Amino acid sequence: MLAQAEHQQQSAAGFKFDNVKRNQLLTGKGFKQSTATKTGTTIVGLIYKDGVVLGADTRATADTIVADKNCEKIHYLAPNMYCCGAGTAADTEFTTNMVSSQIALHSLNTGREARVATAMTMLKHHLFRHQGYIGAALVLGGYDITGPHLYSIAPHGSTDKLPFVTMGSGSLAAMSMFESRWRPNMSRDEAVELVKDAIEAGIFNDLGSGSNVDICILTQGNVEYVRGYSRPNERVEKEQSYRFPRGTTEFYVTKTTETATAMDTSA
Amino acid sequence: MEYNGSAIVAMVGKNCVAIAADKRLGQQALTVDMDFEKVFPMTDRTYIGLSGLATDVKTVHDTLRMRVNLYKHREERVIEPRTMAHMVSHMLYERRFGPYYIEPIIAGLDKNQKPFICGTDLIGCPNFPSDFVVTGTAGSNLFGMCESLWEPDLEADDLFETISQALLNAVDRDAVSGWGAVVHVITPEGVITREIKNRMD
Amino acid sequence: MSKLKPGEISMGTTIMAVEFDGGVVLGADSRTSSGPYIVNRVTDKLTMVNENIYCCRSGSAADTQAVADIVRYQLDQYTAQHGEPPTVKVAASLFQEICYQNRSQLMAGIIIAGWDKREGGSVYDIPLGGSLHREPFSLGGSGSTYVYGYCDKTFRRGMSKEECIEFVKNTVSLAMTRDGSSGGVVRLAVITKDGVERHIIPGNQLPEQYTG
Repeated sequence: MLAQAEHQQQSAAGFKFDNVKRNQLLTGKGFKQSTATKTGTTIVGLIYKDGVVLGADTRATADTIVADKNCEKIHYLAPNMYCCGAGTAADTEFTTNMVSSQIALHSLNTGREARVATAMTMLKHHLFRHQGYIGAALVLGGYDITGPHLYSIAPHGSTDKLPFVTMGSGSLAAMSMFESRWRPNMSRDEAVELVKDAIEAGIFNDLGSGSNVDICILTQGNVEYVRGYSRPNERVEKEQSYRFPRGTTEFYVTKTTETATAMDTSA
Repeated sequence: MEYNGSAIVAMVGKNCVAIAADKRLGQQALTVDMDFEKVFPMTDRTYIGLSGLATDVKTVHDTLRMRVNLYKHREERVIEPRTMAHMVSHMLYERRFGPYYIEPIIAGLDKNQKPFICGTDLIGCPNFPSDFVVTGTAGSNLFGMCESLWEPDLEADDLFETISQALLNAVDRDAVSGWGAVVHVITPEGVITREIKNRMD
Repeated sequence: MSKLKPGEISMGTTIMAVEFDGGVVLGADSRTSSGPYIVNRVTDKLTMVNENIYCCRSGSAADTQAVADIVRYQLDQYTAQHGEPPTVKVAASLFQEICYQNRSQLMAGIIIAGWDKREGGSVYDIPLGGSLHREPFSLGGSGSTYVYGYCDKTFRRGMSKEECIEFVKNTVSLAMTRDGSSGGVVRLAVITKDGVERHIIPGNQLPEQYTG
């Protein structure tokens, strides 16, 4: 029975399209679909003297609502590679996760640390195969046997290899910082400072970006991931509390479930 | 979302979490049911709230219940809230190009009694905040309520008041949700489920 | 024929290639844009697909990169199987096969040029529908429309390598000034039996011309 049920659950690889017809019918009747979470986003990357620095803001939006004030946009790919994501939040999350597992298997098979170009190729193949319908715009950075590498990958699957890149709705603000201040062979401190300023340019000048600055520094054999490297938008402490006295809300207890024994799951 | 109407919210407290929802089921302006379940217990200490198109609320709940049961049989342990969040997230993303019209939130205590809350959008993008998650047609109202009412380290009884007031005042300004509400407070000792008194218009 | 999809990154582009006795000269601007925004101002649109064969890419960046990647792979395999490098004609035919079979989905105008033992230097053009033409010189991309007249007037059969380089440099920089979707630097590749030479002419060292 269990095997049978599990078998039914084993879906064919890839996406399912069984709701598509129904959804088209519903939309045709005027049903409004809710909006997927997007990361309005400023994401950047730059190459400096001994490695790569990646940066991202931390705002996620659903239409005009801020869905998450402190989300993580710098995704793990491999021990020597990280990837910033902009666009449809679910797409960046799942695309990077999938490629991350492919890379893990690849380096297990080859017995070597994967190269950044390999990850770039996997990502661009996946995005190109879906013809732009997977809305992920990525900044891929890493350090491999051939040195530091930085790529930008657009949703349709085109890639650019550059010493400094920006993506997302705040990319214009961030690029203005890079174009005016980037120079070859920067020191680590200069590089981190410039990335921070580029992201802050996005946070303050682009409505789709906001909150904090996350930074990831990749060097030979080392990764330094700093969540909230800069927090220019801390909330002001409340002077008083809105705490309600107990008994404010009128209710009747319908059920109390004890879970003393059920909590023990060590067996 | 607007077709059936809903308001669901989950909050983190001190060693506890709460999840609350309204009970209305509508067909646009017509109220069909005033006792429609939107928050479901999946394990003893993990609850899921499903807002959106009612037919998908049922379908996803049924599918998820089966998957959680299969997990229990295969792994011989109860599913952790974080694991379940990823299960839901993958279930929704699988239908990236023909989604279920729901936005779930998950609340529970993990094996170390640590509070966990999570929300996803309709295609499964997970969101793990440290304070509260909201969903449904009254979502933006709830955001406003929670931003002002929520504070860290609320005891179970205080958390109940805060989440109840947040929900009640949010649904009062949403025409398609309300008509009764239910609040579950999940503590290490057990779950307290309360029906709260609410405007019925 | 397909149009550019919304938000797709395109290479507005001016690209060209010229044959001379003993080789070819390829030239391109370096601008890649997404709507009004320049995504990359130093793009290399001259892409190597085999030792002595390059292609100039115009149209959708994603499509042309994908096609060039596939052809490069096929040519690598050809070299391994035949024990000698392919002719430019073979490369061009592989490009045409992909461009024609997928003509309804692709947005790619590609010029293939290179040197081989059999033909010496040769230039092939594959415009949008996926047809294949051999030409003594070829232009492509949005910027090309501005400079066909100049090319028809200036081009002579039997130009030397140096004359060809000047011809390409002048043509591309003229197109870059008139076409908003082309710009940046001029990139050149000269392919002869001795291999490939690459040149970059920065924006401030372009040939002198009327600029208003």
